[in-house]
Amino acid sequence: MANVAMIDYTLEFLTATGVEETFVFCCWKSAEIKEHLQKSKWCRHTSPNTVRFVTSDLYRSLGDVLRDVDAKSLVRSDFILVTGDVVSNFNISKALEEHKLRRKMEKNVSVMTMVFKESSPGHHARCKEDDIVIAMDSATNRVLHYQRTQGLKRFRFPMSLFQNSIENVEVRHDLLDCHISICSPQVAELFTDNFDYQTRDDFVRGLLVNEEVLGNQIHMHVTTEEYGAHICNLLMYEAVCSDIIRRWVYPLTPEMNFTDDKNQSYTHSKHNIYRGVDVSLGHGSVLEENVLIGQGTVIGSNCSITNSIIGQNCSIGDKVILDGAFLWDKVHIADNVEICHSVICDEAEVKEKVKLKPHCVLSSQVVVGPGITLSEGTVISLHPPDEEEEDDDQFSDDSGVNKEESKVKLKGYNKKDVGSEGRGYLWKADDKNEEDEEEQRQSLWGPAMHSEEESESDSDLSMGSEEPDSRAASPQLDDIKVFQNEVLGTLQRGEEENISCDNLVLEINSLKYAYNIGLKEMMQVLSKVILEFPLQQLDANLDSQNYFSALLPLLKNWTPLFKNYIKRASDHLNALFAIEEFFLEHDSLCTSIAKVLMTFYQLEILEEDVILNWFSLRDTSDKGKQLRKNQRLQKFIQWLEEAEEESSDGDQD
Amino acid sequence: MPAYGLSLLLSTDPAPSLLPCSADAVIRDRSKGGSCGRAVVGAPGDRRGSWEPSCLSGELMDLIRTEGQRMTAAQPSETTVGNMVRRVLKVIREEYGRLHGRSEESDQQESLHKLLTSGGLSEDFSTPYPPLRANVIEAINELLIELEGTTDNIAMQALEHIHSNEVIMTIGYSRTVEAFLKEAARKRKFQVIVAECAPFCQGHEMAVRLSKENIETTVMSDAAIFAVMSRVNKVIIGTKTILANGALIAVSGTHTLALAAKHHSTPLIVCAPMFKLSPQFPNEEDSFHKFVSPQEVLPFTEGEILAKINVHCPVFDYVPPELITLFISNIGGNAPSYIYRLMSELYHPDDYEL
Repeated sequence: MANVAMIDYTLEFLTATGVEETFVFCCWKSAEIKEHLQKSKWCRHTSPNTVRFVTSDLYRSLGDVLRDVDAKSLVRSDFILVTGDVVSNFNISKALEEHKLRRKMEKNVSVMTMVFKESSPGHHARCKEDDIVIAMDSATNRVLHYQRTQGLKRFRFPMSLFQNSIENVEVRHDLLDCHISICSPQVAELFTDNFDYQTRDDFVRGLLVNEEVLGNQIHMHVTTEEYGAHICNLLMYEAVCSDIIRRWVYPLTPEMNFTDDKNQSYTHSKHNIYRGVDVSLGHGSVLEENVLIGQGTVIGSNCSITNSIIGQNCSIGDKVILDGAFLWDKVHIADNVEICHSVICDEAEVKEKVKLKPHCVLSSQVVVGPGITLSEGTVISLHPPDEEEEDDDQFSDDSGVNKEESKVKLKGYNKKDVGSEGRGYLWKADDKNEEDEEEQRQSLWGPAMHSEEESESDSDLSMGSEEPDSRAASPQLDDIKVFQNEVLGTLQRGEEENISCDNLVLEINSLKYAYNIGLKEMMQVLSKVILEFPLQQLDANLDSQNYFSALLPLLKNWTPLFKNYIKRASDHLNALFAIEEFFLEHDSLCTSIAKVLMTFYQLEILEEDVILNWFSLRDTSDKGKQLRKNQRLQKFIQWLEEAEEESSDGDQD
Repeated sequence: MPAYGLSLLLSTDPAPSLLPCSADAVIRDRSKGGSCGRAVVGAPGDRRGSWEPSCLSGELMDLIRTEGQRMTAAQPSETTVGNMVRRVLKVIREEYGRLHGRSEESDQQESLHKLLTSGGLSEDFSTPYPPLRANVIEAINELLIELEGTTDNIAMQALEHIHSNEVIMTIGYSRTVEAFLKEAARKRKFQVIVAECAPFCQGHEMAVRLSKENIETTVMSDAAIFAVMSRVNKVIIGTKTILANGALIAVSGTHTLALAAKHHSTPLIVCAPMFKLSPQFPNEEDSFHKFVSPQEVLPFTEGEILAKINVHCPVFDYVPPELITLFISNIGGNAPSYIYRLMSELYHPDDYEL
């Protein structure tokens, strides 16, 4: 990352903020990490920060690491938890003081303080994978709700969030997760208690869910002025590299040479050009802006370089255009090459007249032949693709390369992929994924940013398609489906075993509370279930007559059930809506709607006022209107009106 | 970080590898010029403790020179560090020369006669002198005392330059200027206009401190400097560095102020202690410039636009010598054209390039 290892940035951040002892947990390539760190300034005896290594091949996630910490009792006091790819110039002492104060005031209730940076949603350093929405209490900075956005356009917040006694709840989407957390020793214990916590997300969510039970709270600290970001994919890599070059992470800028490595001394010139020692620039070459060139690099003539980071001892030919290119050490680039927004790793070679479209990755020691154009998102590596192995997944890099090579027969290089003199294979992500290929290729880079116009048009569409009839839009939540099944089961049992209606009512009530269903929905479900009941017995015979004759006894039996739930006018309406919906779905039974309504009326489940009200509702859908035009229904309504007049006349008399 | 704390740190471990650590501290701390100077002078003084008596002065000078190079490479804009290293080297040369038997008057490099007759013999610093160590330590202590007294020396000259009912303009926050004005305020009544010096707005702090001493202070934005200049009698500023040609490296905004003062023929007085005088000339290298995080100019929260633009936040300005009227330092008032002479008294020509 700007020619300095990522872990150096993390250690520099920690040392600058006053940390005196650091534990580095490594799982993969731990020997190389250890070697690098031991040669660096962190392990000199004058370093204010002592670095200790703990390595194990069994670490598969953050959760494993913390469980190990707890098992070995490595930390006894508050500690700072960071991932190894954090770049920051944050001074943590203020947040640490707040954390300690909170813990002192409310005996050990606050378990963790997460650090966030304020940055508006479109910013390029906001990682799409990591995007979060947080609800917090403004007064105490306590985290109330934590959710990943992951491309969703709508979010749901539980009402309990706003209903408890907290006065000011802020819902924030303008936060960038720095992955820096100040943790108390309880965090390690909590990870040991809960075996399934694998990441910090799991932990936060679990804690928030169990908050009432365990009483632990998570707080947060938001920084506006200091910089903090962690690098989880290549898009973030690009964003943070360009931030480093443009000096957002001051004082961790390249010319400061904080790693104290002789090869890393740069001079800083206008327009953020950093040149190392012994760099030679050919005639007519232009370093336009935001360029970092490592030591010993030779650049040919008439090149144009912008927004790029070039490593040490590279050689670049003539007439090369580099825009947003990230070249690591000892890369050799021939003449007339165009590279755009790509990463080229150590010792790779790019021959003449090659064009690399955006988001390409050339892995170590790969050679890409003359004259070809690599399309967007191509990844070329020396790791041959395993076509026979179905289990080859994206994590194939983890296992030793030797194992794979011995299995695969050595094939030649595909000339189409890498050119006539090329060496390397096209790397494809797991084919089992059902997402589009576009997304697969992007997966190395992370989800791309959506433009704002897209999202606006989406929301317009969804608004237009909503019917004014609110019933149709009511979401089929899983809970309601389960509830429906349960009610159906109850009624079936009721019919088979002739359970009295009171017991049925009791059962349905308890189901209602168990699934937290509102009255309205319950009414709908109940009506629906009852009306559908005969259908199950009839199977194929969807004949109105048969249907009605099957339904009638059921209705008679379960009258008390209805009467129990239909008490207010709104309940009546809900029931009617449910009936309407049912008959809309089952067109063939339309003719019996009048009879059903008649039955309901005669059994005194529904009153005529309500039925008339429902009938005369203006704003129904087209289908509803059609239903109402049904002959029999109209006759029934007429009869009903006459009956009403008669009864009202009768009253007046 | 207190300067003496730094020198204590250095005294615990004489190994040269400790100095990169102090270079880090210099980067991170961005301490003010005076404390930097004291720290640096303290360092060789403490290393003297571990220096064996049989060591030659030549070796000591090489040691100090390498460490000085390392420290200036860490933060080129902190020229005080280099200046102090050069002062110490000069001190060692002088003491050595005195013991070696040369009289001080004859040690004049500018004398043409001397150059012709000396015939290229250079000091080799190879003869060991036991009393050298004690002399050098004494001289360094004198240097330390001088450093501590610079601000007071400058402030003592305030009454000669500030008269009653004057309007004085200044920019940003300088401790030297603050002491200067406070000393004058004890006997005279005058007004001060402070330009706030965006984007760090240190002028605000200056105004608060001055007003605590009951000096009538006005704060204004940098854009109003030219408009107000016609009513100003004198402009008094501090600076970060004084270059060998008499030019200044001062906070950004000072060049504007100097140009406006020149246009209105208002005298521009620079209050700076002598340890800020650096024997370097302004050249292509641009190494005095310091660009910090663009956060102050356009904050990170601005969002998407930041990916499409370049934002710079320079800390210093270059002010050419023809815009300056007077330098007030701890050894008195001087014109910019006299700077070269002062430089030759402070530093040895061989040390100009560390």
